[in-house]
Order: sequence, then structure tokens, then C-alpha cells
Amino acid sequence: MVNRKLAKVSSFRYTILAIIFVILAAGLVLLPKYVKHEGIDPAELLSKASSTERYISSDVLADKIINQDPSFILIDVRNEAEYEKYSLPNAINIPLKKLLDEDSIPYLNQSQYSVILYSNDNIYADQAWVICNRLNYKNLKVLKGGLNNWYNTIINPPSPTENMTNLDYELFNTRKAASMFFGVVYPEQIKADKPIVVKKAAPKKVITVEKKKKKPAEGGC
Amino acid sequence: MKELEKTKRISIAGVISILVVLIAVLSYKKPKHLYVNNSKTTLETITTNNHFVALDALKGNDVVLVDVRNQFEFDKGHLENAINIYTPEILSDKNTSILNNLKNNNKTIILYGTTTNDVTVPFLLLTQLGYSNVKMATIKNSYYQNQLITINDTIEKPIADIKAFIDESIKKAATIEKPIPVKVVTPKKVITVEKKKKKPAEGGC
Repeated sequence: MVNRKLAKVSSFRYTILAIIFVILAAGLVLLPKYVKHEGIDPAELLSKASSTERYISSDVLADKIINQDPSFILIDVRNEAEYEKYSLPNAINIPLKKLLDEDSIPYLNQSQYSVILYSNDNIYADQAWVICNRLNYKNLKVLKGGLNNWYNTIINPPSPTENMTNLDYELFNTRKAASMFFGVVYPEQIKADKPIVVKKAAPKKVITVEKKKKKPAEGGC
Repeated sequence: MKELEKTKRISIAGVISILVVLIAVLSYKKPKHLYVNNSKTTLETITTNNHFVALDALKGNDVVLVDVRNQFEFDKGHLENAINIYTPEILSDKNTSILNNLKNNNKTIILYGTTTNDVTVPFLLLTQLGYSNVKMATIKNSYYQNQLITINDTIEKPIADIKAFIDESIKKAATIEKPIPVKVVTPKKVITVEKKKKKPAEGGC
């Protein structure tokens, strides 16, 4: 009896095998849908985002701009109005909302230049960084502290106090020179431009004024 | 006999290959963390929804505060009823179960750190992983005599109009140029006044 049943089943064995294979194949078609994962693994993204490697300081950026470093592009993620008002030299405006538009992706997803993102603070720039990094875009950097820090360090550097070291004075001088490059004019700068003219004219005038006043004084006696 | 051996081999090979596929299917592990939102929808949600919470709105029954600073900072001082999840460990099993629990209980998770910027990364990561109940606290924490001082943090507000500052500096420099000679004149005038005083004094004698 058993033998007969076995024989009956075994006569269908190829059909059974074929059916199992077809079912497994159908399963394989379904599998990739669940695995599909846009961008890099969350854990990898977290470890990348936890490091502060992405930040670039305002001093380094100023140095790059002044030396006309051709290896980077600046991207302003603030809105258009703010961009129109003030932006860093040669910056491209990609508001955060339009970050993943078709027009902006060629700027972000390329290996030719390093991309420096900035906003007023670095929150929006960081958000843009995280989103782009998930998509595995390379060479992205964030301006540390954003434009506010740019203003505090480069455009309007605080003058060092007496108890600071020589290094602070040097840093201040560099920053001051950088701010002059970015358009800030200092009163002493103009003084230095035409110092001789002003000084020569002034004493002459002073002398005449003194003489005039001395004479009436003597007359009063 | 030969034919029978052949078919035997075929069926053995078939069974083995089915086994291999079965083992592969069974040993397939679903990755622990999967993005729920793709980049585009994430970008849309963070730019359209307001996910910032100010200091005075941090209290409430449905609110759970999460401190993303490290253990040491947390022990030093933290907000009332806050729990500690350090950013680099946010994907660990323990923390994931905590976060899932909060999500299932419909609690609002508010992340805070030393500054608002500290929570940008954990916030975005959790948003992309599908936690729609996460918000960022716009507060700044500092210590004064070992007491935690929490104040509101202004975010993404320009502290100064840089263009105006540059224009102003140019104007200032242009106007300051003229007053300088005037200032030079005044001290010398004082000297002459002193002389005046001496002379009348002598004349008076």
C-alpha cells in the first residue's frame, strides 16, 4: 500500500518540484520591493552626521574666497529675498524648499567641486546636508555658524583686548584685512590713503588761526 | 537502470536547490531601521510644517522631552522629566523600543540639546525613519554656578544686515574723514587760550 502511494506521488515529483520552483520564483519577484531603500543606511547616515567633519570655519572660507580657490561652490539655502539682500560672492541660491528640484541636483550631486552650504545659522544648512547625504552626494560641507558667524568674525571682527595674546591680534588683523576685501571700509583706511595731504593742510591752517587769536589777546591788555 | 540513476540525480539536485533557496529566505533578515519617508517627502514636511517648539510650550501631558546630550551632561543637569538619548546611540535597540513606545502612545517627542543646532541631526533622522511626532526645542542650555540655565534660542534670524553694515562703514569712513582735521585744531586752540590767560595776568601787574 505504502509503496503504491509512494509510486503515485513520485510519478508527480517533477510537477511538484516545478510548482515549488515557480512559487519561490514568484517570491523572489516580490522581495526587492521590501529591501528597496533610498540612499545610505540610517546607521551610516547617523555616524556620518555625528562627526563634525562637515563644518568649515568662516576663516577658512574667507581664505578660500580671497585666494580665488577654484575648487568649491557656495550654495545659499535661504530664501530668495534674503539672498538678494546679501550673499557671499558667487554664491548660488537654492532655497531649502527647492533643494531636490531637478535644476538644483546638478550642483549638489557632482564630484568636481566641493559644495559649501550656508544659511543664517547652520540649522537649515545642516538639514540640507543631512538630506543630501542620505542620497550619498559627495563633497558637501557646511559653513559653521552660517552668515551670523560670518558677520561676527569676518565682517565685523571684535577687536582684541589688552590681555589677549599676540595670536589674537594677528587673527584680528587677518580678519580685518579680510573684511576690507569683502567691502567694509574702515576710517583709518581712508586716512591712510591720503594722510600727507590732510596733515600738511591742517598745521598750516592751525598756525594762521593761532596768530589771529593771539593778536586780539595782546590788544586786550 | 542507467536512466533511473539519472532521474535520481535530477531529483536530488532539485531538492538541494530548493533547500538552498529556503535557507536563504529563512535567514533573510529585515534591516532594523528602514526609512519610511523618502528624501522628497521629508524635505516637504520639514519645510512646510512647523517643527520648532519654544521654551514656554515644552510642558504638557502628551509631551516627552528627550535630551540628546551625552550621559555626563545629562547627569550634570537636565530639564524636568526629560529622558536621555545620546544622538550617536539613537538607533540602538533600547532607544528604538523607547521611541516606538512613545510613538504608539501618541506622545510628542521634543528633542533638545545644548543649542538648537544639536538636535538637527537626530530630528531629521527620526523624521526620515517615520516618527512624525518629533519636534525640535529652540532652547539653549548653559550652566551658571552648576545650575542649568535654559533660555530661548533664536534660530536662523540674521543678527545684522551685513549689506547695510558694509554701506554704513563706507559712509562712516567718508564722513569721519572731514572731522579729523577739526579735532586736531581744537587742542591747539586750548593752548592759545592758556597763553591768553597768562598775558592778562602779567598785564594786570
